[in-house]
Formats: sequence, structure tokens, C-alpha cells
Amino acid sequence: MTETQTYSFFLGCVMPNRFPNIEKSIRVVLPKIGIELEELEGASCCPAPGVIRSFSEPTWLAIASRNLALAEKAGHDIITGCNGCYGTFKEALLEVREHPDRLKEVQKVFKGLGLKYKAKAEAKHLIEVIYDIGIEELTKKVTRPLTGLKVGVHYGCHLLKPSKNRPWKQTERHTFLDELVELTGAESVSYTDKFMCCGAGGGVRGSNAPVSNDIATEKLDNMMDVGVDCVLNVCSFCHLQFEVAQAQVNKELAEKKYQMPVIYYTQLLGLAMGLEPEELGFHQHMIKTQPMLDKIPE
Amino acid sequence: MTESKTDTATKVVDFREPRVGVFLCHCGLNIAGTLDMDDLEEYSKKLADVVFVKQNRYTCADPGQDEIRKAIAEHDLTRVVVAACSPRMHEPTFRTTVKDAGLNEFYFEMANIREHCSWCHPKGEATQEKAKEIIKMAVAKARLLAPLQKFEVPVTPKAMVIGGGVTGIHSALDLANMGFKTYLVERDESIGGHMAQLDKTFPTLDCSICIEGPKMVECSRNPNIEIISYADILSVDGYIGNFRVKILKKARYVIQSECTGCGECVESCPIEYPNSWEQNLGTRKAISIPFPQAVPLVFTINMDHCIECFMCIDACGDRQAINFSQEPEEIEVEVGTIVVATGFHSMYEPIPGSESKPAEKGYYGYGKFDNVLTALEVERLVCAGGPTGGEVIRRSDGKHPKRVGFIQCVGSRDINKYEYCSNFCCMYTIKNSVLIKEHEPDTEIYIFYIDMRTSGKGYEDFYRRGRESGFTFIKGRPYEVIEDPDTKNLIIRTEDALLGEPIEVEVDLLILSTAGEPSEGTNELGSKLHITRSGDGFFMESHPKLKPLDTPVDGIYLAGACQGLKDIPYSVAQGSGAAARAATVLSKKTVEIEPIVAVIDPETCVNTDRKCGICVDKCPYGAINALEGKAAVVNVANCHGCGTCVASCPQDAITQMHFTDEQIMAQIRAALEDKAEEKILVFACNWCCYSGSDLAGTSRFEYPPTARIIRVMCSGRVDTDFVAEAYRLGAGMVLVGGCHLPTDCHYISGNWVAKERIERYAKVVEGAGISPERLRWKEISAAEGLIFVNTIKEMSQQLEDIGIDKIKEENEKARKRIEAPLRRKGLIPTVKVAESDE
Amino acid sequence: MIQASARSRCVTVTTTEEKPAVDVDDDVDLEFVEMIKKTGGPNIQNCYQCGTCSGSCPAGAFTNYLVRGIIRKALLGLKEEVISSPDLWFCTTCYACTDRCPQDVKPTDVIKAIRNVAVAEGYMLGPHQKVAAKVVEAAHAVPLDKESWQNLRVKVGLEPVPPNASGNPWAIDEIRKITKKSGFEKLIGYEEFMKAQKEKAKKKAEEKKSQKKE
Repeated sequence: MTETQTYSFFLGCVMPNRFPNIEKSIRVVLPKIGIELEELEGASCCPAPGVIRSFSEPTWLAIASRNLALAEKAGHDIITGCNGCYGTFKEALLEVREHPDRLKEVQKVFKGLGLKYKAKAEAKHLIEVIYDIGIEELTKKVTRPLTGLKVGVHYGCHLLKPSKNRPWKQTERHTFLDELVELTGAESVSYTDKFMCCGAGGGVRGSNAPVSNDIATEKLDNMMDVGVDCVLNVCSFCHLQFEVAQAQVNKELAEKKYQMPVIYYTQLLGLAMGLEPEELGFHQHMIKTQPMLDKIPE
Repeated sequence: MTESKTDTATKVVDFREPRVGVFLCHCGLNIAGTLDMDDLEEYSKKLADVVFVKQNRYTCADPGQDEIRKAIAEHDLTRVVVAACSPRMHEPTFRTTVKDAGLNEFYFEMANIREHCSWCHPKGEATQEKAKEIIKMAVAKARLLAPLQKFEVPVTPKAMVIGGGVTGIHSALDLANMGFKTYLVERDESIGGHMAQLDKTFPTLDCSICIEGPKMVECSRNPNIEIISYADILSVDGYIGNFRVKILKKARYVIQSECTGCGECVESCPIEYPNSWEQNLGTRKAISIPFPQAVPLVFTINMDHCIECFMCIDACGDRQAINFSQEPEEIEVEVGTIVVATGFHSMYEPIPGSESKPAEKGYYGYGKFDNVLTALEVERLVCAGGPTGGEVIRRSDGKHPKRVGFIQCVGSRDINKYEYCSNFCCMYTIKNSVLIKEHEPDTEIYIFYIDMRTSGKGYEDFYRRGRESGFTFIKGRPYEVIEDPDTKNLIIRTEDALLGEPIEVEVDLLILSTAGEPSEGTNELGSKLHITRSGDGFFMESHPKLKPLDTPVDGIYLAGACQGLKDIPYSVAQGSGAAARAATVLSKKTVEIEPIVAVIDPETCVNTDRKCGICVDKCPYGAINALEGKAAVVNVANCHGCGTCVASCPQDAITQMHFTDEQIMAQIRAALEDKAEEKILVFACNWCCYSGSDLAGTSRFEYPPTARIIRVMCSGRVDTDFVAEAYRLGAGMVLVGGCHLPTDCHYISGNWVAKERIERYAKVVEGAGISPERLRWKEISAAEGLIFVNTIKEMSQQLEDIGIDKIKEENEKARKRIEAPLRRKGLIPTVKVAESDE
Repeated sequence: MIQASARSRCVTVTTTEEKPAVDVDDDVDLEFVEMIKKTGGPNIQNCYQCGTCSGSCPAGAFTNYLVRGIIRKALLGLKEEVISSPDLWFCTTCYACTDRCPQDVKPTDVIKAIRNVAVAEGYMLGPHQKVAAKVVEAAHAVPLDKESWQNLRVKVGLEPVPPNASGNPWAIDEIRKITKKSGFEKLIGYEEFMKAQKEKAKKKAEEKKSQKKE
């Protein structure tokens, strides 16, 4: 096992306030693979890259920089489990690093708040940190191979793009998350438009739910076409989207057409590591997860 | 021509006391629109030794030149300064004018107030001030100019053409038919280039090899042409009229003179390997020619694939043309001029030797999906002589496609790959569509384009023919291509931008119009020839409009796609054009060479007493000899006039004619006489940084008027004494601009010496208490006008940030240390400004 | 075989109304492009309308949203038409266009920049105003504003209140200071919004009260 690394754990909004099951699975699983989490006391909304940045880019930059400043003070890099928060931090860091005048602008806002900021701390997505541990090392942790489980992998957008400011080797047709899924023994099933957006971002979820649902259900339809048992994501907002969209569309259709369990990666990894579903929050999903759990060999 | 270069170069022909005439060019409104010309006239009149000032609307036009000639006669002028455009533009023009009037042509100096001033700064006081000082600097140098005589060197009446494609073939044929012996050097086994691989040519659909083949044969039959194929250029030495080129002829293991081209060896050979000439779609034998029309018709054994069964030796029999112990052969030829016609490389095109590598994985599933091909692959398929006998078929099942898609601009016009338009793809796509439709009339054609560009003669007609044939042109750059795993068909996803609707088109075969790119080895060849590349990677011409075939190296010319992608008619025209350019040199017995060479004063050189030889080490051309106990001597035939040795000599025993220490010091002093702290003194090498600064002006990029630019031939000429003098006079910033490392230097390695020297001196300067950002080394190419601008902007900002007071304070503090070497050498004039000798 | 993509938004519009020509001369706002260039779209003028962005766009497959068209209109200076269009708010910021753009126009950032202009000129959707107000009020766009959320946390075995701003009033205070200083509160009409919310709540409570009485 590689040595332990410590990160400032940035929760964001959706994960702690709506889907604490994700938070729980992260808190349980990460220390078991050598990633220690330190609380980031007083962190706020990242703030959301699609909404707040669309309203006032300078405010977005200032609040994002405040969160980064908290991590800087703690002396750790930020780790997040939400693609949106990840996107915000990556873009905010790039902006001030490429344009020193923007950094000065932020520092000016921070004057009087007793905040210091030099854009020193990095921002990482937990999937990036997990992948860095290496497939081989992680495979050693698997005690309950999830053989037979068919997974529809959803990467999300801000984890991958804009690719010029992301750590991945490729710009399209990524495989790292599929590799991480398959090490658990589950099968990552390929489906049409796998890299398409979930439809939640940019304020569309909040203001144009029908459009948002259309996009989400197209993805779900494509996954159902190839017979997956669950949709797997690494973003609390994509997670919310798939859960909420299914519920809303079912209500509209007045039939339970969409019953696809929505699983976060650390939940899947935890299962494969032998943890109990209850410890990983499987019992608190909007769409029942029991059908997929039933598929897992004991 | 018996007189040696030194004798003529250094002989004082006609030294005369300075009487300077200044001619102020309006250049229409190009200069006069920004600068107050009357004010410049008044100012110029007051400069030392100026006896005549005159404004002209266009000094370079006949009336303007007449004025100069008239004034020389009437006012007995002995120096002429023209304040107008860049010396890179009209210095030769005015030198001739001055010479016509009976004055030595080196009594002329230019003040660049257009590219360096009126084109890059707005109207205003600071701009006016800069123009005045540019004139002042030019006059200061002009007063000290010495008359020189150009010397003549004999011309070897032979030419070399590098690259045997359609461009090189035409160049070689024209040169040969003008009576010059011409070496046609080709890297591959046969001449012919890309044109030989094409099926038909647009817009008239002539068979490509049918029209190029006879030209190839003509090359082999012309007694004046010697084809040196399967050969690489090792090195190029010398100068215009006298180049020495070393060439490596690769081993073919077949003796060219003995091979009759009968082909019996091929039949006997049991080994086949993919033929890269056929885009690896067909095969060839381990002993073979790449294609039937190959010239020279000599077979080659590929040792990567040969199993040494020696069957070919038996087949060859008494002819004994096969020699398995053949070695590569190094030869040297002397030529007067060189035409570079090395063409281009098509993206994903396999190169010889790469046969066993899998196809590159590229855009739109190329290399991954079976039925995605490049246009060049389709050329081979559609050609009756190609690997499928002219059948365009799918790789996956060998069937004829019923629906064929073409995607344009693959890699071209793409900021992430190649920014440029590849020029010929629109036309060849229409051509290939016409051919495919001709072969299989019920084929549907879909062409996805961003813009259709069909601007040549007869091209628009051809485009209309395509539309009339029912091809579907879809404006839209596909964002994704996916493969149907069952049918292996391709689904092209795009927006129909004219409809504004997303569409999907399913095709059986997809053909990519891949970008052309600089051919393999362009960088290496450029370094050997000391010619530069533009930002796009292709060779850079001397002037985009007026010298499109010339390079910065006299006697070396460009033709065809190696300078930028172009189609066959344009390439052929350039091939002939470059031949004509080369003939202007070859047709004369001698050629004049600028006498800007280095001369060593034997009295001052210390090599007589102790072993020194620094100049010998620094000379990029090995042109200096320093025998023990004797003063070093420059072999001027080899001296290219960079001045690197001059600046390196610790004794200041070497002089560069026309760029003497005194002349450059006079320019420095003139530039820094007023408000030195507010200025950036720039030493710019003629080929890169100075050209870049010219480009900034030509492009009308605006930057602060803080820079005062002194032109040197090479950054290697910049003596640390110059920098010291600048600080002594209070300069705010100093910038030394040279060519890019490692290989852009026009003089092989002058920039290396300069960089090392300046960086070393920067430590001294910093140690003396001067802020490190106040001395900067920067590599700026002739294509990097914007980088020049950004550098000046950045340094102006730094200058402002440091502040005038701090600069003054630092200079004062550093004075003693900075001045010490100048004082020791007696370089500090007793009166503040050099113009004390009145 | 061309087919309108499975996800086509193709609709036939028939109208008897006259379609007026766009009067570029009258509507043109040259500063608009400069504003966009400054706030996230420095290369917008590189656009050569190839359609890579609009083809790639998931939102464009379901709506009339056309990235390319918005950029075109912006470059023509048709500011009012661009910022008042509801289409502007269909972008999910997935960055597919930005990643594939051959001219580095960064369409996603351009759209966000245009949205900034739209909001500054008073074009903001109700739900967005609400989200923005939540960030000011609670430092979280999706706040821990009901007891049920806390209960949910407990059910999965976590502390009821997470250690972020929800449990740290000083942090909310800092966010308020930032949003005040940056002009964000004024921009989104925070005070008015909260006042209206309160009155709404009060009215609701009163209605409930009177209902009870009856």
C-alpha cells in the first residue's frame, strides 16, 4: 500500500444536504485505501459553476477562492466528490494563475476578512486520487468480487472537460472509470453516447426541468437498452439528477418506467471491499437499490 | 579575381570627410500621416555634419532617387541618410542610387521610421521623439561610415535541386535546359513525389502519372541533369556561387550502372512487405522498385525484410548488378545555387521504413474503424495501377461502398493541430468524388465542409460540376463519427449549419481530407541550409509578396509546397520561377558579396606573445587561423560576417566592416543622449529579431515607443562593452534579441555565443546592483512580430514598475564596476557625447 | 442516407405573419462583443461558423438552443436579442463544444459571459434568483434548510449538521461580506427577494390562521 495522504474534504451542497449516503460511503471507504480526510470547517458552496458563474463571474471567483484559501490555510490540497465543485476549483485556480491581476482582484475582496490567498493548494477529484493509487493496489482490497453486476458508467462532464485543464491523458473515449469499476469484478457495459451530459448543469435542472429530464432519460434509455443493473457516477449533482429525473418522469408518466438504481463509485468499491450495504448508505436512495444488491453473489 | 577578400574589403577607397544629406520620406501617408515631417526636417538640420535635408513624397520612386543624386552633386554630400522604411526593404535600392551618383555605396545609412515608428505607434509627442532619435542614430553612424568595396567571387555554374517531386523536376529541367549542370537530389528511391501517387489531377482530370512520367524520364535523359536518388543531404558549406554539399547515397545493394531494370530479380524474390508508396495498401518484394514508372529504374533491396536467400543474385546472373556488401557512399559536390523543393507530408501518410508500424490512430476513428481512409489512400485505390486495380472498396468486406462521405479540414484550420488551410483538399475531394461516381455511378456522395475554397483557374467550374453530379455538400464540421459494429458503416454526426439542425449521415466509406504538414526532416534540412521556418513549420520566404522564392541566404531558393501548401500548377510555376532566380546567379561569371567581414589588426592581437585563439573557437565557420607566435588571420573567403569573433576578442583587435565598434558606440550614445532612463536599448540581429520587429510594424501591432533598436548582423556581435556603455549612459533597459536556439541562427551558432555571453554578463550586472530584469536575452524569430511586441510591452511595464528614480540610483551605484572595463580600454570619451570631434 | 438525427428538434413552423429582416444597423451594439471578450470569451471573433459546437450540444438536441447562432448574433452586435432569449439558459455547461472547437472560441465560457450580461441587464429566471439568494443567505446553493435533511444524515450514520458553513455562522457571515462587496446582492436583488419571500410566508401563515379559525 502506498503511504497515507491527507486532503481537505470539500463537501459542497448536494452531497451533505441531500445525498448523505454518498458522503458516508466516502468517509468509510477512503481511509481504508490510504486517503485521510480532514474537515474543511466553514467551507461554503463551491459555488456552482453553471449557475453562480453564469450570474456574476467575479463573485463566483471570489467565493471559490475563499474555499481554496481555507484549504491553503490547512496546508492540504482539496479533495471533492462532485464534478461541479471540481470544475469550479480547477477553473478558478487556472484563472488566477494565468492572470495575476485576477488574483489581486480576489485578494482585494478578501481584505478585511483576514483571509490570505496565493492559489497554492491544488484541487483534486477523489476519483483522480483513487486512480493514482493504481488498479493493481486497489484490486488487492477486493474481497467480494461483484461478478455478474452490469454497470452503466457515467463520467459526467466537468470531471473531463475542458480537457486542457484536466489531468487525463485522453480528450475523448476515456477508460479510467471503467477500469476502476471493472476491478471490483463488475462489468462496465458500453452504451450509446456514454460521454453525454446528464442534463443537470448550467442551471437547467432548476429552471428547465423538462429539458433536463429529457437529457437524463435519453441516457437512461441508452443504458436500459444494453441491460445494465445500475448507473454509476462520481458526481453528487449527476447523482441527484438521475435520482430526481427518474422520480419526476415516473410521476409524469404515472407509471414506474424508470427504476434504475443510482450508485456512487465509493459505494460500489465499498461493497467489493466487503463492507455492508447499510454502512455505505444503500438503504437511503430514492430509487431502491435492493434489485441490484440482490445480483451480488454472497 | 585575384585580389583577396581582405585586400578589397579593407582598402580605403575614397575616405571623405562627412557631409551628410538627410532625405525624409513621407511614404504617402504611411509616415507623414503619423509624423510631423517639417518638425523632423528642422531637427535633422541641427544634427552634426548634416548639410542638407529634403522631404520626398516617395523617396524610393524615381523622382525621390533623382533628388538624392542631384543633392549629392549640388551639395557635395559624402554621406546619405534616408529616413523611410526598413533597410531590409530598400537599402539595396538606395545603395545603387548613391553609387550612381559617384559615391561609395557604403556611405549610405537608413533610418527605419516606418516599421519601427509610424506603423507601430500612434501620432504623438513620444512617437515624434522616437523618430527624431532614430534619425539621430542613423546620422551618428553615417558620419563614421567608411567606404568599402564589394568583392566579387567566382560562380560555380552548377545548380542543385533538393527534392524530386513535380516542383523539383521542373526546376531541374529548366536549369538544365538553360545549360547549367544540375544535381537533382531525392531522398526516396525514385523521383516523382506525391504527384506520381495521384490518379487524376484536378480540374481537368488528366492522368497524373501520364503527364508527370514523361517529365521524370526527361530528367533521366537530360545530359545536364544528374539524379542522385535514395540520398540524404549531410551538410552544406560555403556561400552564394560556391556551395559545397555533402550527400550520403544510401546503399541499394544494387549497382546502379549495372542494373538494366529487367526485373527478373523481383520475380525470383520470395519476400513481400507492405509498400508505403502504396500507402501500405499493396505490397512489394524485398528487392523491387516502389512503382513501375520509377526513375531511375534501379532496384533496391530492403534489408529490413530481405532473408538473404540470394535468389536474386542467381536471377541477375551475368549482369552481376547485385552487391550485398554495398556500403553507403558519401559524395561532395560544388554548386553555385540551391533550389529547395522538398514538398510536404500528408497527415497519417506512412513513410518508408514505417511499414510494420500500425496505422496512426487519428481523428474520426482513423486507424480504429476499418472503413475510414485518407484521401491519399483513396488515390491509390481509385488508380487503375493501384493495389486494387482501380476499385474503391471497403477494408472491412471488400465491397463497393454505395454511400461515401468526405470530411474536409481534418487537422487543417484547427487551432489544436494546424491553423492553416491545406489549400488543395477542397479540389481533390471533388475530383475523387467525380472519379468514384464515374466508377460506380449509383454511389451517393456526401461532402462535409466548413468553407469550400475553389479559387483557381477553372476550379469553380469543377465545383459546379460536382453539384450538378448530385453530390450533397453539407456545411458543418462533424463532431463525431461512430461505427456500427455490425455493418462497419460509419455514422457521421454533425450540424447542418445551413439548416441549423443536427443530422446524422450513415455512409459505407468515410474519406478524410487530412492536412498537409511540413515533410519529415524539414527542421534538420533548414538547419543545414541556415534557412528559417515560419510559424507553420514550412520554410520561410524572404518577403511574402516580393521575394516569395528567395530565402535569407543568398543563392538558396524555395519552390513548391515546402514553403507552404500549394497545388500542382502553382508548384510547377514556382519550380520554374526558382530556376529563373537561380539562373540570375549562375548566368554570371562572378557574384558580388558584401564586404561586411571581420578583419584582425595584427598589431593589437596578442596571439603573437601568448596563446589566445578565442576567436578561433568562437568562429562558427572555422574561418580564423591563429598559428603559434603569430597574429590570428581571418580567411575572408569563409567569413560570413556575423561579428561573433569581434565581440569575443578580449583585446578588441578585430573589426567588423560596416559594423565597427565606433559606429555602434556612436549609435548607442545618440540613442541615450536624452532621457536614457526611460528607454529600452535593443540590439537586434538582422535575420530574426530585427525582422520580427519589422513584422510588428508591417502588422501594425502597437507597442510603447520606448525601444531604440540597433541592427547588428548577428546577436553574436553584441559586445558586453556595448551593454556597459548603455548603463554608463543611464539606459533603463537593455534587450539583446537573437534567433531561436538551437538551430535558427543564420550563422550556425552566433546565438549560442551571444546567449552565453549575455547571461554571463547579466550576473556581473546584477552583482553590480542593477535589477536583473533590466538586461534581457530573448529569442525572437522573423515570424514573431507579436512576441517582439509583447517583449517590449513587458519590459516597458517592468521599466515603469522599477521607476526612473530607482534606475538612476542603481546606475549610480553600479557605475564604478560597469565602467571599469570601458575605462581600462579607453572607451570613455572625454566629452559626454561622441560628437566631440568637431 | 441523411436523416434528421434521432434527437432532432426539427419542427415545421407555418405563419402568415410577415417576417421582418433583422436590422443590424439599428440594433448593433459594438461594445457587446468587447464585453464578452473580457468576461470569458477572448477568442469569440475567431468563430468561422463550422457548427462543431452546435452539433456536439446535448441541450441543442432537445431545444431550439443553438450555440453557433448565439455566437453569430453576438458578433453582429444583436445584444438585446441575445440576452433576452430564453434559449440562453438551456446550456448545461457540459463543455463538449469547448473541447472540440477548432478555433478555441470556448463557447461555454462565451455563453456564461453573455449570461453575466443578461443578469446585469435584469434578465434572470425565478428559480435562479432563488438559488443565488440561498448562497447569500445560507452560503449553500442547496442548503440544509429542513429538519428532514438532518434526519436523513443521521439515518446513514452521520452527524446531523456537516462541518461546513451550515454549522458555522461565521462562515455564512464571510460569504455575505463577499457577496456585498462584489455587488452580488444588489445584482440579484437579494433584499427585495427576501422581503417578498417573508411577505409570502406571512400571508401564507395568516391564511392558515384564518382557515383554522373558520
